[in-house]
Amino acid sequence: MNESELMLKLRNLKVIFPSGQGIIKAVEGINLDIEKGKCVALVGESGCGKSVTSLAIMRLLNSPPAIVKVDELKLDQEELKDYSDGKMQELRGRTLSMIFQDAMTALNPVMTIGKQIDEIYIRHNHLSKKEARAETIRALDLVGVPEAKSRANSFPHQLSGGLRQRVLIAMAFACMPKLIIADEPTTALDVTIQAQVLNVLSDMQKKHQVSLLLITHDLSVVANMADTIYVMYSGKIVEKADKRDLFLSPHHPYTEGLLGSVPKLSDTQHHFVQIPDSVPHPMFKPTGCYFHPRCRYKTKKCEERMPPLVKIDENCEVRCWHPLHIKGGGSQ
Amino acid sequence: MQKSYLIKRILYAIFIFFVVMVLNFFIPRIGVDDPAERYYPPQGNMTDVEYDIIKQVTREQYGFDVSNLQQFLNYAKGLFQGDLGTSFRPGNPKVSDLIAERLPWTLVLSVTNLLISLFIGLMIGTIAAWRRGRWQDTLLLNMSTISTALPAFFLALILSFYFGFELELFPAYTNPNMVSGFDWSWEAVKVVMYNAALPIISMSIGGIIGYGQGTRNAVIAVTNEDFILTARAKGLSRNQVIFKHTLRNAMLPIVTSLGMSISGLIGGAVIIEQIFNWNGMGTLFLEANNTNDYPLMMGIMLFMSAFAIVANLVTELCYSLLDPRVTVGEKR
Repeated sequence: MNESELMLKLRNLKVIFPSGQGIIKAVEGINLDIEKGKCVALVGESGCGKSVTSLAIMRLLNSPPAIVKVDELKLDQEELKDYSDGKMQELRGRTLSMIFQDAMTALNPVMTIGKQIDEIYIRHNHLSKKEARAETIRALDLVGVPEAKSRANSFPHQLSGGLRQRVLIAMAFACMPKLIIADEPTTALDVTIQAQVLNVLSDMQKKHQVSLLLITHDLSVVANMADTIYVMYSGKIVEKADKRDLFLSPHHPYTEGLLGSVPKLSDTQHHFVQIPDSVPHPMFKPTGCYFHPRCRYKTKKCEERMPPLVKIDENCEVRCWHPLHIKGGGSQ
Repeated sequence: MQKSYLIKRILYAIFIFFVVMVLNFFIPRIGVDDPAERYYPPQGNMTDVEYDIIKQVTREQYGFDVSNLQQFLNYAKGLFQGDLGTSFRPGNPKVSDLIAERLPWTLVLSVTNLLISLFIGLMIGTIAAWRRGRWQDTLLLNMSTISTALPAFFLALILSFYFGFELELFPAYTNPNMVSGFDWSWEAVKVVMYNAALPIISMSIGGIIGYGQGTRNAVIAVTNEDFILTARAKGLSRNQVIFKHTLRNAMLPIVTSLGMSISGLIGGAVIIEQIFNWNGMGTLFLEANNTNDYPLMMGIMLFMSAFAIVANLVTELCYSLLDPRVTVGEKR
């Protein structure tokens, strides 16, 4: 793919946390491409390194303890890895912004939401307090906060969960950045509110042609929004595919397991296809393929050697010795 | 802030004051002393009959000839007119006059001490939190271990001995002329500062370290909050994050301990005042105690309680101004 079409090009990102007991390899060399104006989802269970990846891109990991290494981190063809901390600060919130998971804790409890959004305009657009507030009200309007003008003077605890999440979205879109990273934006919400918030997010993304990196463990969220999906397991990408392909014919047993964990009303005969056990502790990862202890297709080879990420077709890559649903062969 | 909340707190404070007043009035009356004998001690050249008459007159003069309940009502009435009673001391001075005479000297020590403790403590606490795990932090931790094991009066003795007697840098005893000759001239103020140096230092070292440690812990707790990450993701500079987001939240627990310190401002430090021969409230209270001067003790106790009640009330109201979540019974 032509590099000029990419909003984010990430090559070989590694994040490790040295600790007293050993080294925690949180992210082990992942590549990630996000096309301009597209939504890419990064899917995986808790503890597989999704959030660390997003914080590493934002350069928000505290270092020490984190050690981040990356070969290429290009935002709109601009190499970020050599940026100074000060330059990175300028970038955050303006060209690169983030939506956090729990809006209750992600907003400062003793500051009105208006003030918290004003800050962004004052910082990046150098507006006066009054001008910033006008922009804030417009931003709140855009994400569907009713009576934005008076709500701007509310404190976070005075708003409902859905409104708080909208405030976070308004914050992320405040300066119309090039890329927004949404880290589990709906996990803390009720299902009905989830749908509303996702609609707002999706509308805003399409209307303003912003690229979105959606981090989630919820495949129903992905199904609605994402164009391309990366599945992450224990610090590595195990499968990359277009949404349609991934849902119809997952190649990696882990992806199959994730899809199997979603309840289907139409399917009354089968129980959930559970993935037994949980993600390995990052300090004690198994030999060979990290997924083999939980995989029902495992062979001796899987226990011994880590499979490479292999391209199966144009838009699809998988890290498995015995990929599923491969025409004319595979493990089946 | 809700008006009903304010009224509730004020009514509660009044109730507490009433309880204190009742206890304060009746507890000394459990003793068997005849107050008339204390106001007018027997003289050598007096017959029993004469002295009985004098005692009767004294009782009538000071209102001890009526029932306890009636005495209490009179006492309460006197309080509202600012009359705290009459001391047993020779010359029978008014308790309120004695307090008014000593209070400023105590405030010189306690207010200076509080301001120094608070400002330096806040500063070193923030630095220690900022430099968490580095030498500044370790130093504060070790200092706080030492200062916990080293009471202020002990420090006062060491300072008085070393800087007062050995080096003769500061007066080990307060010069009595400081009080009697005080005329608000710059010279007199300088003398006060010179004399107050050692008592203030010995009082404030513990305070500085206490506030420092408290601030450090509060700041670190807030630094780990999600909204700090949000603030950084907005591209705010380090200083903006610290001053606008961290400190405001970290102030909350500090305001609580500040409130407690304020209520102790007028009590005076009994032992420190003794060591440095400083004529403040602490010394006055000790004198009252040593001479069984009940009216004086009652007056001081009541005055201190009233001050503490008011200080607590103000603290609580400040707290609800600082933290919008704290308003009991607020309507959403």
